[in-house]
Amino acid sequence: MFAAIHARLEVFSKYLVWIGGASLMIAAIIVTFDVLSRKFLGVTMSGSDEISGYVFAGSTTWAYSYCLLHRSNVRIDAIYNLLPRPVAAVLDVIGLSLLLYYMWFMTKTGVLAFLESWELNSVSITTLETPQWIPQLFWASGLVMFFFTLIFVTLYALVALLQRNWDLVGRIAGVPSIEEVVEEETHGVDVMEDSRARGA
Amino acid sequence: MILVLAAVPVAAVLGILSFVLDEIAMDGRLTLGIGEIIWDKSKEFILVAVPMFILLGELMLRAGIARRMYGAVIQWLSWLPGGLMHANIGSCTIFAASSGSSVATAATVGTVAYPEIEQRKYNERLFLGSLAAGGTLGILVPPSINLIIYGLLTDTSVPELYLAGIFPGLILAGLFMTVIAGACLYKKSWGGVPVRTNWGDRIRTLPHLLPPIVLFTAVVGSIYAGVATPTEAASIGVVMALVIAAYFKSLNVKMLLEAFEGTMRTTAMIMLIVFAAIFLNFVLGFMGITQAMLNFIAELGISPVETVLLIVVFYLLLGMFMETLSMMLTTVPVVFPIVMSLNVPEFSDVWFGILITILMEAALITPPIGVNLYVVHGIRDRGGKFNDVAIGSIPFVVAMLAMILILIAAPEVATWLPTLVYH
Repeated sequence: MFAAIHARLEVFSKYLVWIGGASLMIAAIIVTFDVLSRKFLGVTMSGSDEISGYVFAGSTTWAYSYCLLHRSNVRIDAIYNLLPRPVAAVLDVIGLSLLLYYMWFMTKTGVLAFLESWELNSVSITTLETPQWIPQLFWASGLVMFFFTLIFVTLYALVALLQRNWDLVGRIAGVPSIEEVVEEETHGVDVMEDSRARGA
Repeated sequence: MILVLAAVPVAAVLGILSFVLDEIAMDGRLTLGIGEIIWDKSKEFILVAVPMFILLGELMLRAGIARRMYGAVIQWLSWLPGGLMHANIGSCTIFAASSGSSVATAATVGTVAYPEIEQRKYNERLFLGSLAAGGTLGILVPPSINLIIYGLLTDTSVPELYLAGIFPGLILAGLFMTVIAGACLYKKSWGGVPVRTNWGDRIRTLPHLLPPIVLFTAVVGSIYAGVATPTEAASIGVVMALVIAAYFKSLNVKMLLEAFEGTMRTTAMIMLIVFAAIFLNFVLGFMGITQAMLNFIAELGISPVETVLLIVVFYLLLGMFMETLSMMLTTVPVVFPIVMSLNVPEFSDVWFGILITILMEAALITPPIGVNLYVVHGIRDRGGKFNDVAIGSIPFVVAMLAMILILIAAPEVATWLPTLVYH
């Protein structure tokens, strides 16, 4: 059951990341237009900076779950790598629990901030007068999703730990090996596609 | 510290440390406001530059320009003693000017260059070292993600930091090439079989250098011309990278989705820590811990240069074991005020940003934990010992140390250009 949910979450978090990335790209295009029209036409479409700020805030929290499921949280593995697998597995679960503790405060106060803006109907002090609850809804929902993903992953890792399935703990929550990191950083980018220029 | 060593996620360590300090000093009042504090930071326009520059790098990585560019740089640089290794450094420098990441720079240029070791009988260690070291230029030559984050943490102008990074970046690349030429003059067999080049080919391949150079000029140029802020310049860069990728026919949905995944993963990873660090900064500011540290340093009675040298040694040691970004995020809030309290006008905020970036570069290629060493080791499909890369990088670490001493002896190397433009 755990494995099935894990796979589902992975797919779902990937969609969120695609949406976040695409929104950022669109924000980049809007900002570019803004700069060009300001420079060459003397016209300013106000608000592109504000909107891209919201896009950034939202897309970042939406990507947290993906980051967690891909074990991309920054951890210092200088000693970790030298430890026997069972000890490392215990550290994996402890690490997750502490992250969960920190995120509990973040999520709680984040949601409170959203609820407050909703009730007071507070708007930004800009020409756009954006009701703050709209961007905060995206932002806080990312935090909530991350929080629940975190609970799930911690439970999953804990169960695997109790079953003494060290490899599984590592796959769910361990620090990725260097080969995995390089693979993730470059996605095995095919730089060979440029064969036409090979004679150069 | 124990938590850090126990491989607890850095964000959690920083966050919980802030909670504990807040609890001790202010009965946990600041913790109640963490959501608001982080929301305010989350939507700041200057921070948007971070994912934009990452996206720019991810797009350029997939735009299919690396091999052509390398081919062109070979034509121009491989006549030097050491042949293609100079092309490695040169390509890394140019690629660094369109990417803000050292890992991406080393991986991209490394993948293209690696097969040449066997084909042209190079000394494998030195060749791999030149790739690992050249790749580190990614964070010094603008645009640089590390410099943006340093700017955020210390309230230093990012455009000035970018301007300041150009000359040290070129000097460091020059030092790397001197190391290679020196080594190959000393032992000719290390230098491999020379490549035939001629002026016709040099001119013909020149357009292959254009995409990164045009991109660099547009991004960095628009910041200096005062047309755009760093975030706007990064957005322009993203649009240009899309155009370049479309021109080379590598723009498609699959490529875009991969770039999005890479961008968002890195952004989320960085921002989770940055927000925790910002909150810790906030709590530390309230508690006056920084002031207590400054008094302590002042009482030690050591000279400014000695203090800076101590900081350099501290970072070199720390850099052997820590990953660069987390190293910067955890230490800069404490170390930066110390440097500023020295009250030496030459040791400015901009200058220290460059110094610390070069120290981060050294951290990338000093074992046992040196990310670029692993990256370069990872692209060796013929296998080999990890030590080969580590040993091959040693001469380049020496070059970095020389650069650090130059920067301390003559801070103007970094600061004259921003001073010229802005003051």
